[in-house]
Amino acid sequence: MAAPLVLVVLAAVTVRAALYRSNLAVFITERVEVASPLNSWKRVVEGLALLDLGVSPYSGTIFHETPLIIYLFHFLIEYAELVFMITDVLTAVALYLAIQDFNRVVFKKQKLLIELDKYAPDVAELIQTPMEMHYIPLKVALFYLLNPYTVMSCVAKSTCAINNSVIAFFILATIKGSAFLSAVFLALATYQSLYPLTLFAPALLYLLQRQFIPIKLKSKSFWLYTMQYASLYLCSLVVIICLSFFLLNSWDFIPSVYGFILSVPDLTPNIGLFWYFFAEMFEHFSLFFICVFQINVFFYTIPLAIKLKEHPVFFMFVQLAIISIFKSYPTVGDVALYMAFLPIWSHLYRFLRNIFILSCVLIFCSFLFPVLWHLWIYAGSANSNFYYAITLTFNIGQILLVSDYFYAFLRREYYLTHGLHLTRQDGTEAMLVLK
Amino acid sequence: AAVLPLLLGCCGAALAAGLQDQAEQFFRSGHTNNWAVLVCTSRFWFNYRHVANTLSVYRSVKRLGIPDSHIVLMLADDMACNPRNPKPATVFSHKNMELNVYGDDVEVDYRSYEVTVENFLRVLTGRIPPSTPRSKRLLSDDRSNILIYMTGHGGNGFLKFQDSEEITNVELADAFEQMWQKRRYNELLFIIDTCQGASMYERFYSPNIMALASSQVGEDSLSHQPDLGIGVHLMDRYTFYVLEFLEEIHPASQTNMNDLFQVCPKSLCVSTPGHRTDLFQRDPQNVLITDFFGSVRKVEITTETVSLDRDVAGFESKFPEEELATEPLKYAEQLPVAQIIHQKPKQKDWHPPGGFILGLWALIIMVFFKTYGIKHMKHVF
Repeated sequence: MAAPLVLVVLAAVTVRAALYRSNLAVFITERVEVASPLNSWKRVVEGLALLDLGVSPYSGTIFHETPLIIYLFHFLIEYAELVFMITDVLTAVALYLAIQDFNRVVFKKQKLLIELDKYAPDVAELIQTPMEMHYIPLKVALFYLLNPYTVMSCVAKSTCAINNSVIAFFILATIKGSAFLSAVFLALATYQSLYPLTLFAPALLYLLQRQFIPIKLKSKSFWLYTMQYASLYLCSLVVIICLSFFLLNSWDFIPSVYGFILSVPDLTPNIGLFWYFFAEMFEHFSLFFICVFQINVFFYTIPLAIKLKEHPVFFMFVQLAIISIFKSYPTVGDVALYMAFLPIWSHLYRFLRNIFILSCVLIFCSFLFPVLWHLWIYAGSANSNFYYAITLTFNIGQILLVSDYFYAFLRREYYLTHGLHLTRQDGTEAMLVLK
Repeated sequence: AAVLPLLLGCCGAALAAGLQDQAEQFFRSGHTNNWAVLVCTSRFWFNYRHVANTLSVYRSVKRLGIPDSHIVLMLADDMACNPRNPKPATVFSHKNMELNVYGDDVEVDYRSYEVTVENFLRVLTGRIPPSTPRSKRLLSDDRSNILIYMTGHGGNGFLKFQDSEEITNVELADAFEQMWQKRRYNELLFIIDTCQGASMYERFYSPNIMALASSQVGEDSLSHQPDLGIGVHLMDRYTFYVLEFLEEIHPASQTNMNDLFQVCPKSLCVSTPGHRTDLFQRDPQNVLITDFFGSVRKVEITTETVSLDRDVAGFESKFPEEELATEPLKYAEQLPVAQIIHQKPKQKDWHPPGGFILGLWALIIMVFFKTYGIKHMKHVF
């Protein structure tokens, strides 16, 4: 399978290189949907220029990248385009390898459950075959590399690509079963943008499953492993943060990076939900609402962990989607990451109820973003409500997409164990509803 | 036994040579004061570089010690307060606004339309109406070393003033002869940065004149770098490299004229700079840059006390008989050299500290070996 992957990589690199050389590159770099105050390339260049002038880049409110990014780009700033293309390629390759391994795991588990007669007799059509699973890794890599969102994110040189890459490596390490590497990459991802903290739960569940440790609250080995993994994770995080201190010999980066992510002072419009609310809110309530909004990201982890404890990779997908919808400064690069996972669940297609309307909503909104931005900022005939309406619609589309997949996944699991033809007590055909 | 007198003789000769050297050094140049006449002859905004040229030479001679009272600065147009200047009150010589040669204490003696051929020749020859203020006069005497720097647009044998008149090389040579006859200079250094500049010094016939030009007859002098923020070329190449050369000079420098002749070779300047030394009596090797560009006094400092009152003969000196055999202190060495040279701010590049890099790579290697095991090390070595 290496040859098609190489072809896909080459095609993706060509597309990106062509776009870098065209006029669109400047246009895309300035788009607020692609570049947020956290990961805009202009701010990286500004921060490095400030450093050359002898001023700390964190002294103003311009630069919100972590010191490791400063270190990376200090030496690679002339090759920035190459760096971002390589980052995208690495992400795709990591996802490819991860999903390949994951497919093997799924197939083995399926085989085990069939042999143990855990499945109902009439569900033969629901079982995944190796034939249809063969091309899934390639499709995942394809979906990531040739997604217009990823291409735009790469052309804009947004450091979201680096974040995606670290998360992809974390997924690869988790699926391969190496707790140490997974903890290290998760620490790196959390260090860069705070939200991957929530991915701790699915990773833990996956590793526990791999080690055949039952997830019971009373089990001693469960707590032992959890403590091990948590301590690995926390130690790596502490080590990375202390190492970053030594780059500039100051702790300035903590309020600039994490304080900025959590307190959301910059209200530039983006595709997220925060900016409009906080632009019109009174100072009195802003702390309360910041807490509410931020809790929203972390809140779904425990319920999802309880419901999806048998299916940690799906849990990871849902969690990634929740992060990219509810984080404080989302960009289309974050959306692209979880969309790359959709081919894995292409077998759920028959259970998805609203997929047509949702894909239409997402595509239309993507096209309407620049239109309404132009109308608002340049033509002056619209106002921020119009742009926020599109933001809201886009996010509603994403939420419905995720919940549709969630419903379809659970429905398939239910059918697998209870059979395809469900009957109610009085014999008529029953329908599953997500409550 | 014959070796000893030979040795003594050698020592004596060395000592004598040392003394003679010192004496020669003391009497190397016969001047006692320095003057500078700096002329920019072109007006209009696009001739920014000529004003910047003149101001950078002005800055250098002031930095090396010639006071404003001994400098006659003639600028044909005002660039710093020109309405087209996007950075008012500044004249830059390096792009990216690295060096502002206008500074805070510029004294322009002849400005705007006062810069004419007639005024220039009157300044040189001293035939000035009695109402002219002191700052506009060249009050040199026969022990003055004068630096004359001219820049603008020129051609074969002439230099254009103000876009309306010209001074020819014959007129200039005659003016210098008048100066020599009236004993108005000891030695003269003439530098010109224009197209075909060498033609201007071809006709000199007075003694003790050394001349430098930025290009030969038939060649154009080219401008250096434009600044995209200001929109014009900031300096001419020859004067730019002369300025860079002069930034390294401080009042105690022993750099001589031969180094100045090497400034701006053809590879950097595109034109071939020329010089003329046949009218000069000393060897250019012995002529210090500070003889013309600076204002270095021949001063010797002693540490002995000198008693002025005969009655207080019994006053014991502060320093007892054990005289420390020190070198005689020179005036120029007392000056704060470090503050005088390298005044152009240098861009400092930031580098990540070594400890950070070491720590980061140690961590990466540790993670690598922890994951893949030590057995892989044998593949590395």
